[in-house]
Amino acid sequence: MDSLVCIAGRDPVPSFLSLGEGESLHMTLVVPEGVSIEHSLEIHLDGPGASLDLAGAWRCSSDERVRLQVIVRHNAPGCTSGQLFKGVVAGSARAEFDGLVYVAPGAVKTEARQQSHSLLLSEGAFAEARPQLEIYADDVQCSHGATTGYLNPEELFYMRSRGIPEEEARAMQVEAFLAPVLNRLEL
Amino acid sequence: MSNILLEIKDLHAGIEGREILKGVNLTIRRGEVHAVMGPNGAGKSTLSAVLAGRADYTVTSGSVTYDGRDLLAMAPEERSWAGIFLSFQYPVEIPGVSITNFMKAALNSRRKAQGLPELKPAEFLKLLKDRMAMVQMKGEFAKREVNVGFSGGEKKRNEIFQMAMLEPTLSILDETDSGLDVDALRIVADGVNRLRTPQTASIVITHYQRLLDYIVPDVVHVLKAGRIVRTGGRELVDLIETQGYDGIDG
Repeated sequence: MDSLVCIAGRDPVPSFLSLGEGESLHMTLVVPEGVSIEHSLEIHLDGPGASLDLAGAWRCSSDERVRLQVIVRHNAPGCTSGQLFKGVVAGSARAEFDGLVYVAPGAVKTEARQQSHSLLLSEGAFAEARPQLEIYADDVQCSHGATTGYLNPEELFYMRSRGIPEEEARAMQVEAFLAPVLNRLEL
Repeated sequence: MSNILLEIKDLHAGIEGREILKGVNLTIRRGEVHAVMGPNGAGKSTLSAVLAGRADYTVTSGSVTYDGRDLLAMAPEERSWAGIFLSFQYPVEIPGVSITNFMKAALNSRRKAQGLPELKPAEFLKLLKDRMAMVQMKGEFAKREVNVGFSGGEKKRNEIFQMAMLEPTLSILDETDSGLDVDALRIVADGVNRLRTPQTASIVITHYQRLLDYIVPDVVHVLKAGRIVRTGGRELVDLIETQGYDGIDG
């Protein structure tokens, strides 16, 4: 399996990738604090049985602008794709995510999942996710979900009542939120 | 060191503009276990919320002195550092945070506030294992996310486990018996009893006598409509059991 880690601002982020028959890709994209980016990434599953495991995280703390478009195109039968995106947005930063999963005619037995979740840390922060599915084949399993929320005050109070100061409790919750993506970097 | 640990004077408090506690007076000395009993809506949970420092509750008048300090001026984490522990009626799930990391952060935050160095990993692990055994929690428990997917009984045992880790001076058990079967109730009560010392005190808030069969109180208070209407010894528990709260005058 190919593994690819892209830290925006440090590594070049590809615009187009193609996976052939039986190929698999494990890709993690991270946009660190202080980095603004506008980027479109298109990944085609062109050969039967190809598989993609893609995750992304962004952490905007002040006035960053993050705009990501991710297009995953299933062109061959029996391919799987999993996508997980997690963004933390604070200050007056804006993060926008467009995720399109396209299943071409004939790409039967496709399995495609996409999740995108945003955590807002301030009133002035803005996050939007626009997940889209376009399916032109039968016998496929596709799902997507998007959520946007704030830190849970009940969790914060619980942590503080155990002696964890408010700032540290917030930091732990942010870390826990991003962990499913960032833990992939350690593998 | 004063013998009086907590002194509540004429406490009025409420939520969203509604007064729930209407002049509570309570004095707790070191070494004592106090039971606060009362029907639903009497203000039991408001009392524990105010003592723990929940921001959504407002104190309109009165005072709470803990170990010589103005408790109401302290942030929730400062109360914890000072030795107060609330066992939540509804423990909160914290996805993505393991019990190990949660407890490590809690203990080291307190040590930092006290100017002490962080616990050594070996010391921490030894304490963790010892306290897990106290509430009969198995090895993989420490790796689980805090309260996520826990049964009602596991959540309450986790509260007592945290209490055992933090070794509070004043513990407040808010309806710790609700949702517990007899075995879990025994484990929880046994943990609480083992943590008792002549320097510590507990407030056991409950609707029923059940928990008080296992954690025996020195003083029993009946809270009704925001006031303590009767204070007595253990015999008050039996009186409530036979006559109900309606039989206790307010």
